[in-house]
Amino acid sequence: MSAAQPSDAKRLVTLTVNGLERSGVAEPRTLLVDFLRHELGLTGTHVGCEHGVCGACTVRMDGEPIRACIVLAVQAQGASIETIEGLADGEALHPIQQAFREAHGLQCGFCTPGMVLAVQSLLEENADPSEQEIREYLSGNVCRCTGYVGIVAAVQRAARKLAGAE
Amino acid sequence: MPDRPEITGTLLQKPQYVGTRILRTEDPRFLTGRARYTDDVRLPGMLEAAFLRSPHAHARIASIDVSAAQALPGVHGVFTGRDLAAVLAPFVSTVAGRGGVRPLTQHAIPFDKARHVGDPVAVVVADSRYLAEDACDAIAVEWEALPAVVDPEAALAPGAPLVHDDVPDNNFAHIEFASGDVERRFAEADRVFSKRFHHGRLSPAPLETRAVVADFDRSTGAVTIWTSSQTPHLVRSLLVPVLGIPESRIRVIADAVGGGFGLKCQVFKEEAVIPALSKLVGRPVKWIEDRREHLAASVHAKEVISYLDIACTREGRFLAFRARYVGVNGAYQAHPWTALVDPMTTAAALPNLYDVRDVAYQIDCPYTNRCMTGAYRGVGRTPGTTARESLIDDIARELAIDPVELRLRNCIGDAPSVSATGARYDGGTYRACIEKARAACDYDGFRARQAAARAAGRHLGIGFSPYVEPTAWGSDMAKVQGYVASEIFDAAQVTVEPDGSVSVSAGLHNHGQGLETTLAQVAADTLGVRIEDVRVSMGDTAVAPYGFGTHSSRAAVIGGGTVMRAGTEVRRKMARIVGHLLEVSPEDVEFRDGAAQVRGVPGKRMTIAEIAAVAYFGGARRPPDMEPALTSTRSFDPHEVWPNGCVVAAVEVDVETGGVRIEKLWSVEDCGVLINPMIVEGQTAGALAQAVGGALLEELAYDENGQLLAGTLVDYLYPSSTEVPPMEFLHVETPSPVTEGGMKGMGEGGLSVTGAAIVNAVADALAPFGITITRTPLSPTTILALLREARERRAAPTAA
Repeated sequence: MSAAQPSDAKRLVTLTVNGLERSGVAEPRTLLVDFLRHELGLTGTHVGCEHGVCGACTVRMDGEPIRACIVLAVQAQGASIETIEGLADGEALHPIQQAFREAHGLQCGFCTPGMVLAVQSLLEENADPSEQEIREYLSGNVCRCTGYVGIVAAVQRAARKLAGAE
Repeated sequence: MPDRPEITGTLLQKPQYVGTRILRTEDPRFLTGRARYTDDVRLPGMLEAAFLRSPHAHARIASIDVSAAQALPGVHGVFTGRDLAAVLAPFVSTVAGRGGVRPLTQHAIPFDKARHVGDPVAVVVADSRYLAEDACDAIAVEWEALPAVVDPEAALAPGAPLVHDDVPDNNFAHIEFASGDVERRFAEADRVFSKRFHHGRLSPAPLETRAVVADFDRSTGAVTIWTSSQTPHLVRSLLVPVLGIPESRIRVIADAVGGGFGLKCQVFKEEAVIPALSKLVGRPVKWIEDRREHLAASVHAKEVISYLDIACTREGRFLAFRARYVGVNGAYQAHPWTALVDPMTTAAALPNLYDVRDVAYQIDCPYTNRCMTGAYRGVGRTPGTTARESLIDDIARELAIDPVELRLRNCIGDAPSVSATGARYDGGTYRACIEKARAACDYDGFRARQAAARAAGRHLGIGFSPYVEPTAWGSDMAKVQGYVASEIFDAAQVTVEPDGSVSVSAGLHNHGQGLETTLAQVAADTLGVRIEDVRVSMGDTAVAPYGFGTHSSRAAVIGGGTVMRAGTEVRRKMARIVGHLLEVSPEDVEFRDGAAQVRGVPGKRMTIAEIAAVAYFGGARRPPDMEPALTSTRSFDPHEVWPNGCVVAAVEVDVETGGVRIEKLWSVEDCGVLINPMIVEGQTAGALAQAVGGALLEELAYDENGQLLAGTLVDYLYPSSTEVPPMEFLHVETPSPVTEGGMKGMGEGGLSVTGAAIVNAVADALAPFGITITRTPLSPTTILALLREARERRAAPTAA
């Protein structure tokens, strides 16, 4: 297989990221995560495996959590993307971010952005999940540091905060 | 001798922060995506590199043709091992001062042959990673396959193919040790029990792979290297002879690091190659390792084959331990610790907390055509503990003694003591932790539940694994672990700035341990300031005083110790200023909440900001012989520090599917004075989870031709939130007599011993079937095979 001239195939991708319209150049083969990180400068989304297993690259596309390492940038044309950079309200952490801090739900922080966005979707789908439901929902987001103890506690705490109980 | 053992730093009498569950100060930047990992570094004109790596386990490179790759648009250079050897000196890896070890000289990229799947053979620099990988595909390599050295024990036999042509027996090291009269004890013993245990091959597998960015400046001859490392100064020092650049012109920055677990306390050849490429092409170069490279070509760990013999009385009193360890290295040496980091520390921990004076061991460390082995959290202890504790459970079953009782019967006393392998234990709660664990898991209740379940055809099991473990590696600890010529310490600088805020800078590294918080807790309590006024920075050799980085459970003890020492000097200086200005004795000045207060005189008070203003800008108001800056840099090299504890696992095994479900894990730990119990528990939880992976899921398997069978995360199985069980953490706090503040290290014990507890729990569950566990991981296939073999043994007439 010859390495064809990739530059010929470059195209403009326009999408909404965290509520703002953004555009950038992508080859057809450019991964969405590389586009977000390197073309748009949103380095809060991380790359852990590049084959859709670890969940570090989780972002939300049109409200659904997806793995940005197995989606092409061109597939996100016109979509609405949410990344970790859009979650806090100015200096005020989102209740899920607060809960992660209070429950020691992070250590090295590399899985954290993807994990937090996955939790956001979990709590939108199920405002009061059981421990088992939390563990099952997050089983596609690997954390190598915490043993998930603090993460499970953080989700429970975030659920209480979002319900106005804390 | 320097003042190493002397304890000179002091916390305030009533610490406000040490011992509390204070929330982590570093969290907000990680939670908002603001943390800067190496792949987030972007420099003007930066290019990207990709390595072409061997698909063969062992093959001679007959020729390499890079012309087609070189000609591709966007490619700035293609370099082979020979090209790089012209600008990079080789790494020479050995354990200095240790007899029986044969140093290995290794080039950054080999140019005669590839020695494992993933061994680099060329590197491309291009406008983007995508183009660099395209160019790798366009490199033509003519390979001549060679027979692969795969079986580690066959590798040591005469006539085996050679991994390195100048290492005739494939053995990096042969080490022997004996203390007491081991052979006589074995001859006199009532019973001798033996076991061969093959611990699985694991990867630390941090979620962030390795990553390097280098910017060589031709105008100054200086290079800045961003790297995902636990040990920035070690990278700098060890690159000096390889790059040929003076240490003062190498700046290493390790900002946010996405997990290390020991893997990133090694200095990798790629950390030399990328700076060399930047020098060759004259532009900044970035390399981000992909997951397959990480699994095939970073380091592997913990694969040790242990042959263990225990001599004991019929009452179960251990008389002597004898072991042979084969550390299953790959093709190279992880720099600087070498592949001995596993088997040598396995051996050093042989007697552990058992009261056995007669101990002997031998170590061999063969090369094979695999990825090299190196450090992974709990070095050496994981395979050694699993082998020893599993044999102890076998003995308990054979002698019909309760396994917890058997351990208590042989456990050392609490007072400081010296082990048969020369370890100087600083005293602990060895028996008490086992007893506390037994109570926490309701051992008697579990046994009753187990009996009822067995009657109903379900198989529950419980396993214990107690320990004492080496932490806070300074020079003494490194030596007793086998690094006989190592001198290791750390330094920190504490500064009260002109406005009264506090800066702490340390040569350690923070990659998940919460060190920015714990060092701020210690600094605040040493100076009497509010924790919000302390800023801790690490990870940049241009800023931090020299240090050996964060690994080996050393950061809290040594970092805390250096901060206490330096902070105490600064506090004493501030007390002198206050004494001078308010005409009182400095001894009567107390610090709290950011102010100095003269004891018993409520009106006599100065804020830290007022004191700092006098120190820096007060001129004649300062005591006449005092220098202005409120700063101190101190180092600390502690004596050996040995925390202890016990982990218990309760499991249920499904004998139809071979599946193991862990009901719960309990961890009891005595790591001395706790700085932040929340962080201690977080570290323990992570270590326990990694042990679950090692015991049940993870394995870097190779086939008989040396092909790696676990090159993706679909094959190398991380424990996910559904496999990691609930956990309970219990603490005992016995201050160490040999450290500043009484802290002991922690963070590794969970991974060192929990695998053993899980193995013992599975063996206990399956005791009615008469199985013996001799390897990890205990995958469903392995469990079913054990059950099948046991069935066949029972069915067959006793032939042997």
